[in-house]
Amino acid sequence: MTDTVAAGGVTPYPDKWARPSGTPIVEAYHTAIRKIVAERLAASGRTWEEAVQDKSLQLTREDFEKVEAELLSTGYRFQMSAVVSLQEEPDKYAAPAERADSGAQDSDEQGRPIVGTGDNVFKARADVEGTARFVSDVERVMEMLTEGVPEGTIAVIDDSGGTLTAPILGDFAAVICMGGTVRSHLGILTREYSVPCLMAAELDGLSEGDAIVVEYSKPAADAYADAATAKAQRARIIKLS
Amino acid sequence: MPANHSHLDLLEANAYVRKASESFFWQCTTRTVQESKLFPVNPYIALSYFNAWYRWPELLRKIDAAMPAEEIGDRARQVGSYVSTITAGLIPQFYLGGRQILLDMGMLKPTDAIDDILSVLDFGRRLNLSYHRSHAHVIPSDAGHRAQVHTERQTQVLEADALGVTPGDKLHTAFGRFMATASAYGFLSHCECRLSFNNHGPYMTKGGHEMLVRDMLDLAECDYPWMDGVASEIEHNNLTVVVIMKDTHFNIVDDWGSFEATPAYDNDNLVAVGVYTSDHLSDGYIPVHMDSAEELADYLDDLREKMTDATAGMWKMMAGWSRDQMIDAGLLVYSGVTKDLAHFAGVYEQTDWFEVDEQCQRFKPLMNDEYGGMLIAETVGLLSMSSQNHSEHHMTKFTDARGEMWTGVPYSILADDEWTSGVGPIGPGSTSLPTKSALWTTTRGKLTQEENNRLAREFKPAGWDLRHYDDDWWLKNHPGDPRADDLYKVAQASSAVLRDRGSTLLEDDVQQARAAAGR
Repeated sequence: MTDTVAAGGVTPYPDKWARPSGTPIVEAYHTAIRKIVAERLAASGRTWEEAVQDKSLQLTREDFEKVEAELLSTGYRFQMSAVVSLQEEPDKYAAPAERADSGAQDSDEQGRPIVGTGDNVFKARADVEGTARFVSDVERVMEMLTEGVPEGTIAVIDDSGGTLTAPILGDFAAVICMGGTVRSHLGILTREYSVPCLMAAELDGLSEGDAIVVEYSKPAADAYADAATAKAQRARIIKLS
Repeated sequence: MPANHSHLDLLEANAYVRKASESFFWQCTTRTVQESKLFPVNPYIALSYFNAWYRWPELLRKIDAAMPAEEIGDRARQVGSYVSTITAGLIPQFYLGGRQILLDMGMLKPTDAIDDILSVLDFGRRLNLSYHRSHAHVIPSDAGHRAQVHTERQTQVLEADALGVTPGDKLHTAFGRFMATASAYGFLSHCECRLSFNNHGPYMTKGGHEMLVRDMLDLAECDYPWMDGVASEIEHNNLTVVVIMKDTHFNIVDDWGSFEATPAYDNDNLVAVGVYTSDHLSDGYIPVHMDSAEELADYLDDLREKMTDATAGMWKMMAGWSRDQMIDAGLLVYSGVTKDLAHFAGVYEQTDWFEVDEQCQRFKPLMNDEYGGMLIAETVGLLSMSSQNHSEHHMTKFTDARGEMWTGVPYSILADDEWTSGVGPIGPGSTSLPTKSALWTTTRGKLTQEENNRLAREFKPAGWDLRHYDDDWWLKNHPGDPRADDLYKVAQASSAVLRDRGSTLLEDDVQQARAAAGR
């Protein structure tokens, strides 16, 4: 029998081709859960088929709470995705990363700093000049929903979803999204609204309120392009002031 | 004791499992990982898989007993409803997703819940075969990503009645604006997922133009309790939008009902549009304000304004939700992909579909954003969980790696291996969301749950007795046959252009009729 302890810890049944999970958190959680199942099965004296159908032996919410508590006790903190998660349980989540600023940005042909690049969703009729405004949470959206989106807003959005900015998306002059791909929900929606959009943007030194020009008139990114082609086709975000 | 299944049962089931694995991998890796700053998307997706695992076997058996899956498929392909390419195709995916995660946690063996698994897979396969009967594939990827759901009797009507547009005219402008608003509305009402949308086609039309049929679903007060009130001004629950495009080839219409086009979809290439409503209670498609381009444009402008208001109202409500409410809403949208099957069968119960099973609830403490995200990434993208790993010699489709998304059913259960039957009856459920209070919006008006079910059980579509003549293989050799004419006239019944024209029309006849009608 394969030594399953080397890949996945104690398991309730053999696995010839066991391996560690691809991510540390899945590995940690599933290893812990397998161990509980194996111990409970051994202690029950039942066959697998009897045990798996016995409600009294099933893992409970409390078991899973312990699994989470054990991981948190090591000092591990989760990466957040939704704002509400961080708001409700700040002690469990790592602080969001700071915005990147290397201080060593390349310049364009006119000597202006290039503060980011991204994949163009569709070829707009012209590049867009405007003001970068970060839209990262419910409060900012609510403010813009209530008071109106300021003229010339190029919205800088962290995630590629379409729900955070759903009620105001059509009012942006353009969008820069730091996640997803041109096929993500936000890409689909901006195309429908004819709002120019870069996806998978990488930013370096872009700040709230910066005047920028973005190369939305470049051809749409080819989602099937190889890495070199994809890099070459990226549109630039250039800081004006 | 050997399981009560044949070798052929398992051969078919495992082939379907593998087909599902490969379809889902391609979809998930080309359509990108979902995320949202508003909704904890991946945690709710993972939880929805558990809800499907624990609830679907009994719910699908209940539906199947009232109306067989293949009959639902026969009905569903005649209308634009939530029984669609994407929802039908997801039956094996979400269910097997729950199983795979439990396998990886060591909480199941591949030999567990054998009767459940074979039952769900059989239901899913029969439904998909029937829904896609007209193009004789199980899922669109079998056809190189094409989904020609309709036969000629239906596509002729959709083409004939479409209202012509030119870029910048009133209908063209209204249509473009409406589609953008409806898209944002649909993503929000479905908690950041694309289940509100389904596309099928393309269908070739005059001059090499291509026609795509685009469904937008669950727009009004419907099964989702959070749409009560906020969507009260939306008249139709389902809209089917027909677009005919020039200089556009829809090269991909995929297993999620999404499309890609070459060159990219551009509203300036729009030639004609049509708008219909339909559901499980309608006899095919019902035209919506299609008497003239002017009338349709005015309607779409009005609907867009109502959807804009509904979007703002719904967003404000959702922005105030707790994380648990967001999780429950999202997971119930996902595990509810099969809910309209119950509407067709007339056995829909709100508590079946909009409560989170207690066996699913217990996993919530695990579901922080990071674990949810990594779990879904590993399950459907990286294929890197231990339970997914195959032998050193294995090369999976697309990547040549050792991981396969879904685990098959071991043939040892046909010999003397031990196995278990299923998860048992549905247990208690609960939800953090408000209870549904409004009536259901249908093509027969606003209905209670009981009225909705009764009308569904009583409903027999016109031409139903002739349904096995509704295929183009037979029609090819029987134009003008009374049975063919009867079937065509059912589809033509609400057509402004082809009413009662029967089964002998060719494309030139359709174009002449369009021209005569000023379309």
